[in-house]
Amino acid sequence: METDNVLVLQNVTKTFGDLVAVDNVNFELQAGEIHAILGENGAGKSTLMNLIYGLYQPSDGSIHISGKPKIFKSPRDAIANGIGMVHQHFMLIENLTVAENIALTVAQFSSRDGTIDSVESDVESASKDNGTPIKLNKFRYIKDDAIQLTEALSHRFGLTVDPSALVRNLSVGLKQRVEILKALAVDARILILDEPTAVLSPQEVTGFFTILRALQDDNRAIIFISHKMREVLEISDRITVLRHGKKVYHGKTGELSDRGLAREMLGDELSEIKRKENRVTTDLVLNISGLTVLGSRNEIAVADVSMQTFRGEIVGIAGVDGNGQRELAEAIMGLRPSKFGTVEILGMQPSGTKNIRRCGVGYIPEDRRTMGIITSFSVAENLMLNITHFEHLAKHGIINQSKKNNAAMQLIDTYDIRPPFVKISASALSGGNQQKIVLAREISPQPELLVAVNPTRGLDISAAQFVHKNLLAQRDRKKSVLLISTELDEVLQMSDRLYVMSRGKLIEATTHRENIETLGLLMTGETETDG
Amino acid sequence: MDKFSALYQRVKSVCFSTLKENMFFFQWILSPIVILAAAFITNGIIIFLFGYNPITAYGAALDVTFGSPRGIGETLVKSTPFLMTGLSVAIAFKCGIWNIGAEGQFLVGALAATWFGTKIATLLPHIPWIAVPLCLTLAAFVGGIWGIIPAVLKVTRGVNEVISTIMLNYVAIHLVSLMIDGGPLQETSKTGPQSDPIVEWVFLPRIFETHRLHPGIGIAILLAIILTYVLFRTTFGYQLRAVGEGAAAAEAAGISIAHNTLRVFFISGALAGLGGAIEIMALVPHRLTENFSPDYGYTAIAVALLARLHPLVTVATALLFGALAKGAFAMEAEVGISRQVTLMMQAIILLFVIGSSAVKFFRKRTL
Repeated sequence: METDNVLVLQNVTKTFGDLVAVDNVNFELQAGEIHAILGENGAGKSTLMNLIYGLYQPSDGSIHISGKPKIFKSPRDAIANGIGMVHQHFMLIENLTVAENIALTVAQFSSRDGTIDSVESDVESASKDNGTPIKLNKFRYIKDDAIQLTEALSHRFGLTVDPSALVRNLSVGLKQRVEILKALAVDARILILDEPTAVLSPQEVTGFFTILRALQDDNRAIIFISHKMREVLEISDRITVLRHGKKVYHGKTGELSDRGLAREMLGDELSEIKRKENRVTTDLVLNISGLTVLGSRNEIAVADVSMQTFRGEIVGIAGVDGNGQRELAEAIMGLRPSKFGTVEILGMQPSGTKNIRRCGVGYIPEDRRTMGIITSFSVAENLMLNITHFEHLAKHGIINQSKKNNAAMQLIDTYDIRPPFVKISASALSGGNQQKIVLAREISPQPELLVAVNPTRGLDISAAQFVHKNLLAQRDRKKSVLLISTELDEVLQMSDRLYVMSRGKLIEATTHRENIETLGLLMTGETETDG
Repeated sequence: MDKFSALYQRVKSVCFSTLKENMFFFQWILSPIVILAAAFITNGIIIFLFGYNPITAYGAALDVTFGSPRGIGETLVKSTPFLMTGLSVAIAFKCGIWNIGAEGQFLVGALAATWFGTKIATLLPHIPWIAVPLCLTLAAFVGGIWGIIPAVLKVTRGVNEVISTIMLNYVAIHLVSLMIDGGPLQETSKTGPQSDPIVEWVFLPRIFETHRLHPGIGIAILLAIILTYVLFRTTFGYQLRAVGEGAAAAEAAGISIAHNTLRVFFISGALAGLGGAIEIMALVPHRLTENFSPDYGYTAIAVALLARLHPLVTVATALLFGALAKGAFAMEAEVGISRQVTLMMQAIILLFVIGSSAVKFFRKRTL
């Protein structure tokens, strides 16, 4: 049994400053198995994979490959030890052909002992029928050889793809195949697949699973990261669940039902929340009807969403990252055009972010560093980065410097932004303090509607509580708050009404508030809501 | 090994903390001095390799550029077009707009001034107080319109402004040729590819009878001061900087990127166009010729980058480039260093400037 383990992690811990991202995790991977790793966002899945792939080095504990302890300084070392990773965002050169991409990978690692020989022997055996063993010239790109190599590889694993097609013309599913081929070209015995099905259509998923099975039959080990329960149950042999950096469950697939897994993923020791009486009014603030929004890749990111928020309530939207929350928030803010449907704010349909802001809408964007603040600007300049703010601080277009600095100083004081200097560049502040700048700017004018996306991400507990207190204060002022968060605890704790967003669809889930399993299923895209 | 890495960490942290505390000093004073020193030393070596004494050569250049009131005046005259185009580039880059089109905008400004000075001014009362401001305004406007073309293409069609502005430079160059070589603006005698001189009441007057120093440099410095104020003290400038430093954050704040792109392109073009007009209106022979601009618009990029896009600092860097242009002539005339060597020197200084500041700058945002 022991000898079957191709990869063993022993008591691996990874800390970033005070944050423990991976906490004393033990993990074993056997040859020829598909091992699924489940967990919420921030559960430590990616960190764990980056440790295995050499992007990070463990703070404590050890990694063993085929029984030998190894230290990976970089992905290069990991690749040299037969570990391949297919990232969620593909690492392909779009303007090269498939064969060229493969050849490039092979060329990079051809100096290494062993691997290329084994690929060549693999390929030789695969292409015995035409009797030409394929060797890639180390110094010169020979098109025919690269194409033959690619063909041999794809033939062997059933990964059909046209070697001379330009990568940029391939569909997402085919690009993923090329990524896998790249890993196989350097003979990866351990494949890490990071959310591989997230980009695939249901039909493509079926084909993809066939490929995984073929790889499994070839005695390769696969780590399959996902939060789609159904797929995990279908394809994996074993499942490990991570929560808050800890391994909370490990067992054979089928031991636990999808509900049981959801409970493990989300935890059931949710803190009891003392909430004030819900004082929702019937004054409509935000009225979205039939909203459809396209994402950056022109896919439908938000699908026919209708919802309302009223004065005096916090509406929560829970969901796993990348299910259209970002696009929904951006569409409300006028930062992304909507394809169909309308967004009404206080009975008006303002066009453009400027006018939407002038209606009294505050926005805490998901991506703080690029959308929330300007790092090269001073703290004071960041604290007025809102069209209504700096217009307020100016007369005839000339900014009143003392007014600006006083206003900034006051916000720094109230929101405890450290260090408390108005002139210091925002880049000198920690992430949590940068977030406080955004909060101070967006919450302090008491907007009629506050759209907050993951407002507490990266904040410590006391800072997070401070944010929650302020969101509740907004509610008590009879303002409206739309809280979009991937932290289920946060959404449950804060919101008066609850939605779950999954694959661009919004599902009313207030009645499932107490039923964490159902919520988990809704979040992972299972739509049945019985029992 | 561990000792080394510990030492390295220590040195690094000390360096970083010193750097952070003295950011202003490093950015604005030390870094340009180091860049220039490196460039001058490299050039000195080249001059030496060609068999001249670099110290004599630099001495001659310094004497001619800053050694006498006359020399200083001449340096100011030479600096004016660098300053106008430098400001044009600085304001655009500050807003994150890669306007490489100052050359073309400079030329169309000169073309507009020539047209006004040869064709329109004759119809007006012969009073400089009317004709000069009109001519300057027209040139700025035409330059601005020339600048708006790539802005419109960028905002409506997403055309990369680097490409469109470079292309428009060629259009402007050939437009000038077309106009003065057989076109309607060619001189009345039709002998060469040049325009008639503009009429006298459109001249920018000399400050001293005996020297060609003109008020153009004053206009340019005034504009640098105004631009600095606008950039750092007004909502308009704040929006421009916000778009330049963090477009996504600016957009989320309700600042329109499209509007600011259009505005900044107009201003940028107007500044360069005004620069072209000043050259026509202030300097003998007061006429538009082929090769009217020795690549002012391109050198302007180095002028602006060396100044870290700060309009006031641009005054200093423009002065430096004016002095370089003047000093190169002196080294040729008085020390006998061939023109090719002096041209090479200018190019080397550009390389040092662009190599040091542009790398940092362009890395932030891919073109």
